[in-house]
Amino acid sequence: MLRYIIRRTLSLIPVLILITIMLFALLKVMPGDPVRMMLNPGLKAEHYKAAYEAMHTKLGLDKSYPQQYMRWIGNTLQGELGWSTLYNRPVKDAIKEPIKNTIILNIFVIILELAITLPVGIKMAVKRGKPYDNAWQVFSLITYSMPSFFVALSLIFTIAIKLKWLPPGGMPLTVHGKGVAYYLSWLRYMALPVLTLTIISLAGTIRYVRNAMIDALTQDYIRTARSKGLAEKVVIYSHAFRNALIPVSTIIIGTIFSLFSGAAITETVFAWNGIGHVLVKGLSNRDFMLVISMNLFFAILSIIANFVADITYGLVDPRIKLE
Amino acid sequence: MDANTQRDPVLKQQGGLLGSLISMFRRLFFGNRPQLSALEEEAIMTPAKTVIRNFFRHKLGIIGLVGFICIMSFSFIGSYLMPINLSHTETTLRNLRPGNNYLKYPKALVKEGVKQISSGVSFSVALSNAGNVYVWGTQPVYLLKNFSTRIREIPAEVKQANTVQVVAGDRHILALDDRGQIYGWGLNNFQQAEVPTNLQTMLNSKQAKEIIASEVYSAVLFADGELYVWGSVMANRVDIVRPEHQGHIVKVAASSNNMALLLDDGTVVTTGIENAFRRVPEALQDGSVKVVDLISSYRAVLALDDQGELHVWGDPEYGLLQVPEKQGQVRAMQGGKNNMTLLFDNGSVAHWGADHYKQLKLPPSLGKKPVERIFCSMFQNYAVHEDGTISAWGNKGFPFGTDEQGRDLLTRIIHGGRISLTVGAIAVVIEVVIALFFGMTAGFFGGWIDNLLMRFTDVVIAVPFLPLAITLSAVVAGRVSEMHRIYMIMVIIGVLSWPGLARLVRAQILLEREKDFVLAARALGVKYNNIITRHILPNIFNLVIVSVTLGYAGSLLTEAGLSFLGFGVAPPTPSWGNILMNAQSSSVIEYYWWRWLIPGLFVVLAALSVNLVGDALREAMDPRANEK
Repeated sequence: MLRYIIRRTLSLIPVLILITIMLFALLKVMPGDPVRMMLNPGLKAEHYKAAYEAMHTKLGLDKSYPQQYMRWIGNTLQGELGWSTLYNRPVKDAIKEPIKNTIILNIFVIILELAITLPVGIKMAVKRGKPYDNAWQVFSLITYSMPSFFVALSLIFTIAIKLKWLPPGGMPLTVHGKGVAYYLSWLRYMALPVLTLTIISLAGTIRYVRNAMIDALTQDYIRTARSKGLAEKVVIYSHAFRNALIPVSTIIIGTIFSLFSGAAITETVFAWNGIGHVLVKGLSNRDFMLVISMNLFFAILSIIANFVADITYGLVDPRIKLE
Repeated sequence: MDANTQRDPVLKQQGGLLGSLISMFRRLFFGNRPQLSALEEEAIMTPAKTVIRNFFRHKLGIIGLVGFICIMSFSFIGSYLMPINLSHTETTLRNLRPGNNYLKYPKALVKEGVKQISSGVSFSVALSNAGNVYVWGTQPVYLLKNFSTRIREIPAEVKQANTVQVVAGDRHILALDDRGQIYGWGLNNFQQAEVPTNLQTMLNSKQAKEIIASEVYSAVLFADGELYVWGSVMANRVDIVRPEHQGHIVKVAASSNNMALLLDDGTVVTTGIENAFRRVPEALQDGSVKVVDLISSYRAVLALDDQGELHVWGDPEYGLLQVPEKQGQVRAMQGGKNNMTLLFDNGSVAHWGADHYKQLKLPPSLGKKPVERIFCSMFQNYAVHEDGTISAWGNKGFPFGTDEQGRDLLTRIIHGGRISLTVGAIAVVIEVVIALFFGMTAGFFGGWIDNLLMRFTDVVIAVPFLPLAITLSAVVAGRVSEMHRIYMIMVIIGVLSWPGLARLVRAQILLEREKDFVLAARALGVKYNNIITRHILPNIFNLVIVSVTLGYAGSLLTEAGLSFLGFGVAPPTPSWGNILMNAQSSSVIEYYWWRWLIPGLFVVLAALSVNLVGDALREAMDPRANEK
């Protein structure tokens, strides 16, 4: 097992190098002049040229591309992600808050999603072909066909505007202090984005759980368990479900990580100050270092997701030889 | 139902519309041949036929297929029938809710006889000879509901009063009664629909001759030649009339930013912002020509002198300054927003100007009967015949409403569908080509090639899709033309989405390679190339078809998402996503629901129907489904 993990870790290195080269190339072809964006536009013409040259050298743009790449990697490894022209402070400071907000949002999405998909998926498999199963199949197909902005706009229209239950978007205010009211306002502002993200990611997981359960229920050991006279509940939960969990656990890990990158549209519609929204804002404002850092962040996240999914697969299914 | 469908047990239970649809498709694919009985059906069928047969057993799959064909023909045939003018905008018609009844005048009006008709952006108001006021058309949206009343709710005072004149502004209506009182209703955001106090005292002391209403302002001309303007005039100051002209005004032609005033000495003066409207010809200013009547469009004025000659000036847009040949003495002149209409004494009508809303397309009934009077304002035109009937032409309305620039959403959704469906389709083709190349090369050659290609696939999979897609399209956006940008979106979606399919193809090839029939083929001495093309490829073909269908739905959604964020297809070229781009603010979500709901529904319906087809295909291709 340990050998597999080490080997798997080592195989990540070329992937990481390729991704960073790709992102660096992207950084170099971005439109606009990074030096000009760093300079104070109020500078007088006679000072401008000198300041431009100085900044050009300071950013290392006079060096060759491989040297610039190495410099960028070195800085990134030390946690220096560059300067954000949009927030006018270092990127690493600018993205702290959004990362926190996105993580909080996604924790709720994952909890809600699991709370819905696991019981529903199991029941669908048990009642395969019955109205319950068909209704959820149709529902999941419809939500699967919905763009996230459409779900978001519909929720804003019905719940926030017509029923006036929840705010249509934005971030909770800090004026409430840190008491109960503050946390309640977090929940209120988070409710609609969480609901949107849950609805759009529900369909895939629900069908996956259902199919895994159906596969498990058609196995021979289920027939054996039933013929032994075990209660149906025991058969379903302790025999079938535990085996269905093997494929389900990997897909759930995948979903958790993909939520982070898929939230750009939802966060933008709800003006939720998360990383997806920051990425969109950074692009609109041509904040290169911010954009590249966000992409790097997403890429690393997704590499970790694949890695963790692989390892868990090996851990939960003893039949799989990880060699 | 024909005998063909009755013998088929599957179709019998479907019945109705769905059954006949299924039989239609079945005949389309299989030809009209007699169905086999259950016993005969055991004969071997080709895989393709089995798949098609299984597919048509799925109700949802059929619904999806029919839905998709409908959406496709709506977009492609529709965009052929309804060409789009990408540069045309008409902000006067902004944010109008769906409605198709702008020209549907009430029957009672014909019975009572028309005295006057006047039109606003989406409605018309009429006064009958019996003194009744009628309003028809669609309610414009008011953001400040508290200050305004609905356009069709005619105030009780107006119903009771003996109305002698009605006039419509862009979103409000004024009425004048025989006691000289003015009533207003409709949009009142600048108090254009209510009488100011000082005007009320004037109305009590002297006789009002004519009421005028235009975009967010109103005016009244008194019998003594004085003009009073109220409402929002701060942007154009149409209300500034020289003191020496006050008291000499006999006729007013108002447009959104200007007014042309006819004075009692036959000369013309203008007010409002400086533009071509205000460049009155010399002859009409110095008194050498005596003008008797004048009308105006948005930026041009037409005047009739006492010799029966026409004079026109203003902005040459839409050919408004090219007055057609006269067919007789001019009996009446009318000005719409961007066109002008003349009625001659022989009952014929001449009209010219813009034709964006079919203002120039005269109804056939107009030529058959002589016209007695014409009423043209905004984009709606009405002609009253001598027998009292009405012919209406011009802007019928917008079935899907309009957007913030006054563009017809139906046209934009039709053309947006064409773009979105095409972008999605080509993106999927790109995806499949790359995926097949990578998957097949890796699957067949194996060894280090397989290893290298799969590592590369790992890299592309590791890059999160949406952030990179947004970044890439933002990077290329600034450098290429609008059309190239659409191509770039196709390439970006295709290039980022192939790895999943490539892995699937590789895995399937590895699986098929080990199967017995390949071994048998090898033992028979079939060439390696033939084993690939004849034996292995047909078996992964099914898989590719299903992936393509589901991938198509995915790329439709991706394109919509990218365009929604402003990183996809760039306006003014429409796509289903970018129609929604400006619909993110909560006021649009609340008041202009059609601007996000309708294009959003089209995306959902298109993706849903494709997914239904893909799902049905997947089940049809599942060999377990063939078990009896």
